[in-house]
Amino acid sequence: MKIFIRYTFLFIFVFQSNAQLADFNSINFEKADAIALEYEDETLHNLPDLAYKLTSNLTTDAARFRAIFKWVCSNVANDYYLYSRNKRKRLRYKTDSLQLKEWNDRFNKIVFEKLLSDRKTICTGYAYLIKELANLAGIDCEIVHGFARTSTMNIKNLDVPNHSWNAVKLDGKWYLCDPTWASGIPNPSSAQFEFQFNDGFFLSDPHIFSVNHFPADEKWFLLEDAKPSFEAFLEAPIIYGQAYAHFNSHNAPQKLENTVHKDEAVIFKLQLQKNIQKEDITLVIESTFRERKVKPTSVSIEDLSLTIGHKFTATGYYDVHLYIKKDLISSYTFEVKKAASK
Amino acid sequence: MKTQISFTRKLGYVTILMMVAFAFSPMYGQSTAQQEKTIKGIVSNVHGPLEGVNIILKGANEGTVSNKKGEYTFPVALKPGDVLLFSYLGYRSVEFKIKPETSFIKTVMSDEVIEFMGDLNTDKRYKSKRKN
Repeated sequence: MKIFIRYTFLFIFVFQSNAQLADFNSINFEKADAIALEYEDETLHNLPDLAYKLTSNLTTDAARFRAIFKWVCSNVANDYYLYSRNKRKRLRYKTDSLQLKEWNDRFNKIVFEKLLSDRKTICTGYAYLIKELANLAGIDCEIVHGFARTSTMNIKNLDVPNHSWNAVKLDGKWYLCDPTWASGIPNPSSAQFEFQFNDGFFLSDPHIFSVNHFPADEKWFLLEDAKPSFEAFLEAPIIYGQAYAHFNSHNAPQKLENTVHKDEAVIFKLQLQKNIQKEDITLVIESTFRERKVKPTSVSIEDLSLTIGHKFTATGYYDVHLYIKKDLISSYTFEVKKAASK
Repeated sequence: MKTQISFTRKLGYVTILMMVAFAFSPMYGQSTAQQEKTIKGIVSNVHGPLEGVNIILKGANEGTVSNKKGEYTFPVALKPGDVLLFSYLGYRSVEFKIKPETSFIKTVMSDEVIEFMGDLNTDKRYKSKRKN
């Protein structure tokens, strides 16, 4: 009996820790997504009514939360002007807590007015809406504040929290999602925000999430194994939105900046969500004067565990980008030194 | 003798327990449930009446919205124990439980205070500041 209980516990706690969106594979989100689309003309003037419309015809909390998430991410736009105005002020008042508080109070009003009139906001506004609508539907949901890293960010300025996301409790278990990043990205050429739903930020695996999200309160890592230190977080490779669509975790290299010898094999290790073709993997290697698209020296996929090996043939300093087909996954730098002397 | 005392005591406890149980029994609840009535109220913030506040009956899709003067009349009759939820984007939601004597509700909504921030994600490829 004791053994039975022990194994039951093992099964419940150990085996559930890895699966995330996969926990709900048996649930079809098509209906939830269709409901979100059906109500795309709704405004935010009556949140209880909106929550009711989005969730009352769905039978599970996962599907109800999906409808809310999909609606918010497809209908609320990122306001770049609002974002940059807030960023400027927050930087200016960084050391003046009184002024900062005054600005926050004023900005609060501006943000809520903007949400009501234009359905536009910035991260915390997304996280706030998700939490309010979920709570109205009887789902436990929290806003998580913290640090986030992207490819264009100067990490030296990353000394105050710069991002907000959500934790949601479904069937007794907490999950992470990032509604701001799921909603879309600015167009690279016009810098205008474009809706482009990314499923990878819905119930993401906490391992991949921790590569570029660092919660102010460490319980929201939702990691049972070692949590990264802030230093490790700042040194981590750059991962992009598409990494969340393909992978559950990124295990190696653990740093953005690496130094290797010419004859040394560099190893990349990532955990896939579903199988891919080895031929779809390419590395783009940039040096000062040119850019080359290469096939890595070796690729192996075993039980969804992807291992890529690569040897550099010339010394130098390279920016290396990992692609799956056309999807940009991650970036690193490698300083390749002369072969170790024997 | 000793057992005799403890038996009367036990009897006493049981009596008290039964009285308590009856005091909260559903029968009592049913007699008050018949006191359904129309509820009116006014919603305001620190500056005065608040227009456009959503007032809903929790757990049902029944509700109304406050008018220019912050006033409302709830569209269906309510009974003690029903919970009204007051919600308005930018204000902290308020819950109010209807009591047997409730007929007019005054609600003051307070601002939702959140520190707003947010960095966008980007697909722009990373470019290092090269050493050479």
